[in-house]
Amino acid sequence: MRPALLRQGLLITTRKASVPKPSILRACPPAAIQPITSIVRQTPRVATFHTTSRRAILPAGPQVLEGTANDPAPVPKPSPTHGSYHWTFERALSLGLVPLTIAPFAYGSLNPVMDSVLVAALLLHSHVGFTSIIIDYIPNRNHPRARKLFEWLLRLGTLVVGIGFYEFETNDVGLTQGVKRIWKAGSTDKVIGSA
Amino acid sequence: MAALRSTSRLLAPSRCLFRPVVASRSYANIASIDTSASRPPTPASQTKTVKEPAADGDSKIKTFHIYRWNPDEPTSKPKMQSYTLDLNKTGPMVLDALIRIKNEVDSTLTFRRSCREGICGSCAMNIDGVNTLACLCRIPTDTAKETRIYPLPHTYVVKDLVPDLTHFYKQYKSIKPYLQRDSKSPDGKEYRQTPADRKKLDGLYECILCACCSTSCPSYWWNSEQYLGPAILLQSYRWLNDSRDERHAERKEMLDNSMSLYRCHTILNCSRTCPKGLNPAKAIQEIKKDMAFGS
Repeated sequence: MRPALLRQGLLITTRKASVPKPSILRACPPAAIQPITSIVRQTPRVATFHTTSRRAILPAGPQVLEGTANDPAPVPKPSPTHGSYHWTFERALSLGLVPLTIAPFAYGSLNPVMDSVLVAALLLHSHVGFTSIIIDYIPNRNHPRARKLFEWLLRLGTLVVGIGFYEFETNDVGLTQGVKRIWKAGSTDKVIGSA
Repeated sequence: MAALRSTSRLLAPSRCLFRPVVASRSYANIASIDTSASRPPTPASQTKTVKEPAADGDSKIKTFHIYRWNPDEPTSKPKMQSYTLDLNKTGPMVLDALIRIKNEVDSTLTFRRSCREGICGSCAMNIDGVNTLACLCRIPTDTAKETRIYPLPHTYVVKDLVPDLTHFYKQYKSIKPYLQRDSKSPDGKEYRQTPADRKKLDGLYECILCACCSTSCPSYWWNSEQYLGPAILLQSYRWLNDSRDERHAERKEMLDNSMSLYRCHTILNCSRTCPKGLNPAKAIQEIKKDMAFGS
């Protein structure tokens, strides 16, 4: 019912619009009307009733294929700093964090230098990890601006946390001692020990 | 046999040439029954109706829910269609059930199949939540549970259970899956390798590129444009690991960026789902090791 009305309405408007130029209409009357009707036919049928939300959170885009089906997919430019060197550095950092984390537990708070090394390694490790999450979930092809935004937000966050830890290390007790003071569960603790 | 029969007919004709046609004895016929080809058929009212075999107590009726989407109606949503089959009359594998549905119930059901023995990789689909080959997946005999069949996850669907694997094949082509050599073999014959070198290709060459592993990898779901995915990386390692190939460095350089290889986060869905029992995750780790410590 409705599309039919719409089509009729469009036809009427086209006729009205073409009234001032009768010569053109006479020259090619079918061609003048034909494209309009075809546009009306091409409009997708919109379902009148939706049980689910019409707008998906992250809709899958149309399929994009570069070149023909017989062309190979494009190979990115080699950049070891983002590839193999990055991976090796990341793994070395993770491995290094194991003794750095265990040492204060075993020997108590060592010295400010070791504490700062632990903090720096933790910060770098989490920065690398968050970068990986951003690369995974915000594709550069679909959302280049969101990608840039989140990268800079992460850098800002890392910088703020870095400054905070610098203050904590230089003007306060340091990470290991701080954890030690917060994390005390035992007989001396009245709340936890009595339970 | 046919030749003999014609010869015997030549030697012993059925009737004598000099006897009149009326006097000759024709083939056995009973006058009361008309056996001519032009006789009218017996009307349906005089014959018994043959009914479809009804489900009896022995029949094991299993319900299959199958994903349907028709590209001829692009605006209509995909839907799940249910089919019931008697497992006693169906082959043991899911592909047998699909073929039976297509032959006997609904000929519009569309899926890929070719070899029906797990060597072509055409019938890869998601059956009861696991990417596998329909021809290698037994129908669960528990008829109380319904089987759900979807196309491979996170693929663009062509129709029903047929996914579009164009980009997957383009990625396969990008790793140059063929022997690359600059030097000729010393005796001008085939390029030989030792049994030990040949053994390194076991567990790699069996891959049939069914895309079950790649489409089960969340990392490939999010970044399939740039990340190569487990199947292609397994193939890449197959050529990196070949003692006869001479482009080891170039092959490694092609993977040395943040996207192609290093989007693998060892989720291990690939090794879990592989219908051929291969280990793509191990191959990817070997490539990473080679990139870090190799020459």
